[in-house]
Amino acid sequence: MTNIIDPIAEIDESRVSDGQDVVIAKSRIIFRRFMRNRTAVAGLFVFLALFLFSLVGGFLTPWNKDTIDPYNIGMGPSPDHFLGTSQAGIDLLALIVEGTRISIFIGLIVGGVSVLVSAVYGCTMAFFGGKVDAIMLFILEALIMMPAILVVAVATSGSGGLKNLPSWLLLIVVLLFFSWMGTARLVRSLSMSLMQRDYVKAAKYMGVPSRRIVWRHLVPNIGSLLVLDFTRGITGAVLAEVAFSFIGIGIKLPDVSLGVLIGQATGQVSSFPWMFWVPLTVMFLLTGSLAMMNDGLRDAFDPSSSSIGRAKRTAVRTVKKTTK
Amino acid sequence: MLKYLMKRSGIYLVMIFLTTSAGYFLAVSSLKPAVLEQEKIPRPTPEQVAASFRGLGLDPAKNAWERYVDWLGNIVTHWDWGRSPNGASVNAEFGDRVLVSTRLFIASIILTLIIGVALGVYSAARQYKFQDRVITSYSYLVHILPAPIAYFLVQLGAISVNEAVGQRIFFVTGISTPGIDPGWPAFVDLVAHYAVPTFAMTIFGWAGYQIAQRQYLLDNVNADFVRTARAKGLTRNQAIRRHALRVSFIPVAQSIAFTIPAIFTGGFFAEAIFAWPGIGLWSIQSIGLQDVNVATATLAYGSVIFAIGAILADFATTLVDPRVRVQ
Amino acid sequence: MSTNISQTPSERLREVGLYAPGDAVLSVRDLNVRFNTENGVVHAVRGVDFDLLPGKTLGIVGESGSGKSVTSMAIMGLLPETADITGSVRYRGKELLGLSDKAMCKHRGSDIAMVFQDPLSSLTPVYTVGNQIIEALTVHNPIMSKQAKEARAVELLRMVGIPSPKDRLKAFPHEFSGGMRQRVMIAIAIANDPRILIADEPTTALDVTIQAQVLEVLHTAQEETGAAVVMITHDLGVVAGMADDIMVMYAGKPVEKGTVEDIYYNPRMPYTLGLLGAVPRVDTANKQSLVPIEGAPPNLALPVTGCSFAGRCPLVSDACLGGEPELLSVRVLANRPNTNGTDAKTAASHRAACIKAEELGGETDAHHIFRAPAKPVSKFDGVDRGEREKVLELKDVKKHFPLLKGALIKRRIGTVKAVDGLSFDIREGECLSIVGESGCGKTTTLLEIMEFHPDQQGEVVISGVSNKVATDSKTKMAMRKEMQMVFQDPTGALDPRFTVYEVLAEPLENLGMPKAAIKKRIMELMRLVGLQPDHVNRFPNQFSGGQRQRIGIARALAVNPKLVVLDEPVSALDVSVQAGVINLLDQLRAELGLSYLMVAHDLSVVRHISDRVAVMYLGKIVETGDVDEVFDNPRHPYTRALLSAIPVPDPNLERTRERIILQGDLPSPLDAPRGCNFATRCPVFAALPAAKQEKCLTLEPPLASEEAYGQEFACFFPDGEIDADMLVVHT
Repeated sequence: MTNIIDPIAEIDESRVSDGQDVVIAKSRIIFRRFMRNRTAVAGLFVFLALFLFSLVGGFLTPWNKDTIDPYNIGMGPSPDHFLGTSQAGIDLLALIVEGTRISIFIGLIVGGVSVLVSAVYGCTMAFFGGKVDAIMLFILEALIMMPAILVVAVATSGSGGLKNLPSWLLLIVVLLFFSWMGTARLVRSLSMSLMQRDYVKAAKYMGVPSRRIVWRHLVPNIGSLLVLDFTRGITGAVLAEVAFSFIGIGIKLPDVSLGVLIGQATGQVSSFPWMFWVPLTVMFLLTGSLAMMNDGLRDAFDPSSSSIGRAKRTAVRTVKKTTK
Repeated sequence: MLKYLMKRSGIYLVMIFLTTSAGYFLAVSSLKPAVLEQEKIPRPTPEQVAASFRGLGLDPAKNAWERYVDWLGNIVTHWDWGRSPNGASVNAEFGDRVLVSTRLFIASIILTLIIGVALGVYSAARQYKFQDRVITSYSYLVHILPAPIAYFLVQLGAISVNEAVGQRIFFVTGISTPGIDPGWPAFVDLVAHYAVPTFAMTIFGWAGYQIAQRQYLLDNVNADFVRTARAKGLTRNQAIRRHALRVSFIPVAQSIAFTIPAIFTGGFFAEAIFAWPGIGLWSIQSIGLQDVNVATATLAYGSVIFAIGAILADFATTLVDPRVRVQ
Repeated sequence: MSTNISQTPSERLREVGLYAPGDAVLSVRDLNVRFNTENGVVHAVRGVDFDLLPGKTLGIVGESGSGKSVTSMAIMGLLPETADITGSVRYRGKELLGLSDKAMCKHRGSDIAMVFQDPLSSLTPVYTVGNQIIEALTVHNPIMSKQAKEARAVELLRMVGIPSPKDRLKAFPHEFSGGMRQRVMIAIAIANDPRILIADEPTTALDVTIQAQVLEVLHTAQEETGAAVVMITHDLGVVAGMADDIMVMYAGKPVEKGTVEDIYYNPRMPYTLGLLGAVPRVDTANKQSLVPIEGAPPNLALPVTGCSFAGRCPLVSDACLGGEPELLSVRVLANRPNTNGTDAKTAASHRAACIKAEELGGETDAHHIFRAPAKPVSKFDGVDRGEREKVLELKDVKKHFPLLKGALIKRRIGTVKAVDGLSFDIREGECLSIVGESGCGKTTTLLEIMEFHPDQQGEVVISGVSNKVATDSKTKMAMRKEMQMVFQDPTGALDPRFTVYEVLAEPLENLGMPKAAIKKRIMELMRLVGLQPDHVNRFPNQFSGGQRQRIGIARALAVNPKLVVLDEPVSALDVSVQAGVINLLDQLRAELGLSYLMVAHDLSVVRHISDRVAVMYLGKIVETGDVDEVFDNPRHPYTRALLSAIPVPDPNLERTRERIILQGDLPSPLDAPRGCNFATRCPVFAALPAAKQEKCLTLEPPLASEEAYGQEFACFFPDGEIDADMLVVHT
């Protein structure tokens, strides 16, 4: 019973009483820790560069994705076409700008909306509990059970009423439908454990209304999970788009995306290698930069992890245990 | 235990029923086989098309609900999953397709599990050392590579090996060479067809297990019970091997449930890239052919695989963790 | 792991040989342990020396962070490789420091064995208990036959008091209770007849009744094996009866060493004095304030200059800051007349690290030195209890849970009567404590009161407002203003993302108080609980445990409640910090006229702080009344057992007093028998003739009072003989 006091905290305390009484805002600490992680900063930088490229890259070339250059069909990189042209004679740079924009767009929308959906769904389950929780959990598991790929295929290949929507919009809707369950489950279990915390009980016993407890105590504490999941969600959506479009069931021509470009080029890798490798590299930069950022964010949010001197961390943990 | 499994199976049956029904409605409302018939030469009249579909139980004149009731009725009474627009029976082909898929996946599922767990243990034991960094970085790299592209790259690699040797060592597509002699040549042919897809699925499959196993083992390396074991007189390595390892298997066993459907999804890509006529390829093709019944049947199969995986995971958990054994 | 390189081995050997007794099983010299952490190098152990003689018991006493556990882990060679360990640890003359993990394994478990603090996590969950005991045997006896090992395992389990040991070999740890698991840990430790047994807080995680059982098992284990024992604890009571010698550690260094008598009756170091004064006594009605030791231990990541205790010591002078005092023999004092009659020999071994050790002696009053406040007097103290208003009343409150079995499928196999018909009241200005083992329903009772819902079974009346009429939020709000709660874990009770200002403002904002008034009130509260008002912008993790608990108390007081519910308010705190919080609670009750409802497992704290007490067993009150009446003349056998289980920090008393050791654990509330539900463990029942036993088994004893006694109790045979098997006296 003597030791619930964290020795590290005590050290912090004595350090504070040694002089400076500076209170640093949490967000600044997180920002600082993120910026200390070089990989993460590099990831952020690459991602922003790609984003900018997808918006203004069109100005780098006089061509656009619909214009055929009849004099340059299936040509390698040249001064006229920095990245060459497709076998239809369309400038690859223009295609890539368009494809990157669509892929990032799908990623951002799916990542963002699915985080919101999972936060609302997960919190609702945790907050109401009981029957509501059981039913919502059943729905959630049933959705996990559905092979998403088939639904994507049916939705985008069908000739029914859905045919009128552009394929990228259809893909967004279907991806959204199947992307939020994992996080919702995490949010649920985290909120449930937070509701058991003494400080939530204390607020409850003070008569603080539930709405306010959720807003002031629950949301900030699951916030880091949600931010992390946002970047993870973007990566997941980009990857899913590429995978589906690659085998021909996601985005369909005339819309282009990175997946479509990579998939189209597979037939002629030996004759038009640039058509395959350039969009693949862009995809790698995109997913790679997101993964690097995610790693840095996880370190920044996790108070027990540290971006410096990780190897020593295990030693500290053991010390904490042994001093009990 | 048996009672528990029955109860779980019951819940999953309800779920499978619901997902399959939802899938049927989605398929029936978006897949219109009649459209494709119009491309045939000679072009059939709409009356001919309607008549032929009516015979196959695909009457386009009926609304979705009526067709659902017919379809469900046939399954419940005759276990008849319907017919394709070209008249083929779903039931007849289903078995072959499942067999092909199972043959394709079984080796890589087992290899993935064994290699992933072994590498996880190995990298945890060498935490932050060179080997750990290589193995773990590789696993993270796999996470940002979409499965079909990964398989395609392996395929490219196998082709270049063939070209370099100047002889076809590996088959990058297909399941077997037609008309091959039985016996030894057939076996060699089998291996040559198996090698590339199994290799591809395995090297891109173990990442998840590796990361999970590494993490769970590291979580347990400094556990109190490992300290107790060391206090008995076991060396640190013995204590970790005998105590921490066994405990770290528990969550890995649970996670199998969620990787089985993932393998199934990955299987679509593998079958599509390597052109194995399994259930995944069938489903994708059927959707291209606007085939409602096949699409629904494969969707049901996917749900069943998930349910089996989940039940197996529970079962595996009770095997490794005495705390959840039900007396 | 390196040894001290500044000395050659022969030099060190000679030094050790100089003052190490030849027959010591364990000699520790100048042990230093440093850890590399992100906050710099923490010097966790700074020069520990001691000798352990065969069959003797050494108690190492200290608070968290004092380095006592690190010392034991260093001896066992269980510290991580990154730790820098210097000095010498010799087992029967053989140097252990610097041995490889493999070489050390020959000693671990066979020569030196250890029992750890947390029995719940110390056994591997996936192996049977038998398997884990046999493993300990196999490691050191590879040629032993399987049958022999199994027979030995059964023998060991029997020795540590596990019923039907043969069947239990096949049981898994989760099928055992905490106390039982700790017995298994002891069985593993003594499996190879070790010469040294190190017990690191072996009973801290256990209930008092179970603690008494486990201490008894340790005693037996020591008798059976003849091992020397190192007992590490923060509880001065636990070692008082067991230890021959005591070493008090503070900030990584021994600050006082001596025989138990020296330490308990003649402490020479202000820290020891303070610690002894900081623990309330369960056996006396003396209601003096406790000795508070203000401040916190020094940060060991920084070099220690001067006496490490100087920052908290009331006797500090400039000389104390000059250099760290050495642990010097207080032999010189033996020439002076000694109040406790300790002879010259024991005094010679008595060492203290204080330049003022000579001025302090047997008669020194810690209360005086540490300027303990006078016992505060409440305005209600003079008023007769009957004339005071009731602030809380419970009428037949019940809480039954369905009991579900199975980890995967839940099926209902019965009902747990967690709280079964509780009635009591609390008057203005008084403190009622509910005591009992964990699982007796005391915490559930608090939660039921805090829930305050019309659908509850039974009636809860708070300042005249009944839960039956509390249907609208306005009534509830009014109730919330009357009653607030202080939680057990001060860290968990404060949102880590809130500053202290935000924490304290929350209840006030909720009342709709204007901003300026909130600010004023918060400053007032900070001063009230003894915190610096300018610290309001700090986050909870910048405070020590004791300070955090003060913040928790300030939050509870923010809305000026009449009743404060205290859930184990000091059990998470270090002994020296506890005293300050207890004094604060005492003072607030007097100054503000508060009433307390407290749940605590530490009966000494209960006795100190409460006016009335209710003893709970399996959801029912078995005895209740004025705290002094109940504690001095317990009538119910359970109360008697509970009180006798508490160790007292007084070696002479502890060695001679009788104690009742209850058999087994608190039974599952499901198995609660029809008659008296204590009958299964009752020491009186066990000694009753069959005819009388019948009555206990069929009738439920009512809670009633008896002439000549003030308290109410629920027992038919309060004067019955105690069963001899359950009575233990150490001679």
